[in-house]
Amino acid sequence: MVFLKASAILFLCITTAFNSFSGQISDTIYINSGTLQTFNGSSLPYKCFNSSSVFDKRNAILSYSISDTVSLTVFNNDIIPHRISSIELGIESGLIPPGMNETVSIHSATSGTFIYHDSENYPNNKILGLAGMIVFRNNSSASFYWNLKELDTLWINDISSNNQLSSEYNPKFFLINGNHNPDIIGDSSARIVGNVGDTIHIHIANTGNSIHSIHFHGYHLKVEQSSEHPGHEGRIKDTFPINPMEVLTLELVPHQSGEYPVHDHNLIAVTGANIYPNGMFLTMLIEP
Amino acid sequence: MTRRILFLVFLTGSFISLGQQVVNHQLIARNLGEKEMHDGVVLRTFGFAQSFSEQPPIPGPTLYANEGDSVVLDLFNVSQGAPHTIHLHGLDVNQENDGVPHLSFEVHHMEHGYYYFVAPHPGTYFYHCHVVSTIHVQAGMYGVFIVKPADGSNITWDGGYPYSQEKLYTMSEMDPLWHEDSVMEHDHDTTQTIHEVSIPEYHPSYFLVNGQSEQQLLEPDIALQTAKEEVSFLRMANIGYLANRVTFPEELNAKIISTDGRPIVNPEISDTLWISPGERYGVLIEPIVDLIDSIEISYVNMNTLTSEEIQYVPVLVSGTNGLNEALIKRTFELYPNPSADQFYIKSGGEPYDGIKIYDAMGRLVHVENHNYMDTEIMDINMDVAKGIYTVEILLNRAILDTLKWINR
Repeated sequence: MVFLKASAILFLCITTAFNSFSGQISDTIYINSGTLQTFNGSSLPYKCFNSSSVFDKRNAILSYSISDTVSLTVFNNDIIPHRISSIELGIESGLIPPGMNETVSIHSATSGTFIYHDSENYPNNKILGLAGMIVFRNNSSASFYWNLKELDTLWINDISSNNQLSSEYNPKFFLINGNHNPDIIGDSSARIVGNVGDTIHIHIANTGNSIHSIHFHGYHLKVEQSSEHPGHEGRIKDTFPINPMEVLTLELVPHQSGEYPVHDHNLIAVTGANIYPNGMFLTMLIEP
Repeated sequence: MTRRILFLVFLTGSFISLGQQVVNHQLIARNLGEKEMHDGVVLRTFGFAQSFSEQPPIPGPTLYANEGDSVVLDLFNVSQGAPHTIHLHGLDVNQENDGVPHLSFEVHHMEHGYYYFVAPHPGTYFYHCHVVSTIHVQAGMYGVFIVKPADGSNITWDGGYPYSQEKLYTMSEMDPLWHEDSVMEHDHDTTQTIHEVSIPEYHPSYFLVNGQSEQQLLEPDIALQTAKEEVSFLRMANIGYLANRVTFPEELNAKIISTDGRPIVNPEISDTLWISPGERYGVLIEPIVDLIDSIEISYVNMNTLTSEEIQYVPVLVSGTNGLNEALIKRTFELYPNPSADQFYIKSGGEPYDGIKIYDAMGRLVHVENHNYMDTEIMDINMDVAKGIYTVEILLNRAILDTLKWINR
């Protein structure tokens, strides 16, 4: 139990802007460009919304209380213009030129998971990495965050070089929060750790172009939120399809202890560079 | 062996006293299976058999237990290759019995591995090998585990929906390149949790329902045959690497009532059902009219979101059993089936002098009259809409036989 409490505190800390004081708060993110190393050692040009001005392959997870109204300032450290948008939250910034910034106001009357992304040159800038997750919470349960995205290296190189796509979408790498197995386990915002009987929330955003089908070993979970299929909310399942630009919030109350995998059951997505298990595969650890 | 003894002692002291059953299943893991596809191509497969005298079927044998039963599953690996396991997909077993090699155990050549669990909520579940699962599932190491209510009756779950028949449709695909020795005979270092293997790009050319495709789906064990106002329970499961978009004829009044072994609190009345890899759904069918049609299953690429292929499961609804005779093997043969605007009729020994073709609405769309002797083949060419047609074989205006034809 001590371990769980420590974990819960850690989750609150790692989310870039969780603020226990509800009301008007300010937050800042940065659009950075850098490179992403794939499992086979190649480097891809990549862009992310980060919580600091240093490039990180993980887009910032923005977690707030539903009573918060957030002034979010976005600095563009890239050499091309960008925007920040969220369709469900009704956000659409003006164009942010290189070196400039823009502030948007964010509020949600209901708890849930939302996607923010760059709507400029859509979907190309999103494919280059510019899409993350905003979570509005009404509880303090342990929460974990998965930003699902796959990489078609040809598409990324095509977009980076000339904004033209020369092939059908055919991703070879599959990532959660910018990581593949086994590196995902090192991401404490992604790896589910808890105790039997805990109430655990998993916030999933699919910012890629592919459908994913996430299967949990050991447990059934409840769909708390489905942005694309609200009628599915309340269903108890072990496998959860998620369409491109869809979000899900799942509730897990573990009934047994153990270490169990959770992975995409499109089994192509648990591979990468002829490695198995790679891609969207990690384990969760539930203590008694 | 120690695991087995401990479990049996446990069972004796607990479950049996509650009047519930101990259910034993054995699966024999093989890696030199052969499967003949609809076009005659034979692919090498891995699979689970229940005897040494049979090819491992694909999917593997459907296993049953009743809710609350104590299940003992014996995996006997006789494959000489990589180890195998059984992952009990959706059955929420404990870690030791979960079948993931580095988190539970793996079963090597000529070894037995025993899995123990209590059958949970009635529903449809999978079992499959979890050793390099991307390769071993594609190779054929999967099947369905069905949990019935505690009394084994035809009711979806205790307090659920009664039904008169159930049908299981398991969707998957096969890519012949993945069934070559260079992929299937992969190295496997059991001391490692990460494995380097050859995984080709996935371009399946066989799109399967219960391991069958194209004209094989006309076999009586695949087709949905029912009567008006009769309730059928369809268990639909996707273990492939593509998504399925299933379209039911509107007249079937499809109601989606369960998913992944759990009831859907607010059942969804819909003629369209998406099933992603690893998902299972329960669908109630209760037609109120006679019908000759098909359930359309589209196989959708998870990356491009486009349909790669469509398969058709025949549906015959009749107030009598007469139409069911149409699916029994007969003297006359129609081929290829499905086909596009053309097919052939071959007699197995009887003369006939014509055919009539009716669409799904019972409208006459084509007539051919000739005098054919028993060894001659009638070549039919026409231009009609896609769908399922009824072909009557005639002699002196009497109907000798009735065949089904799918025009694609």
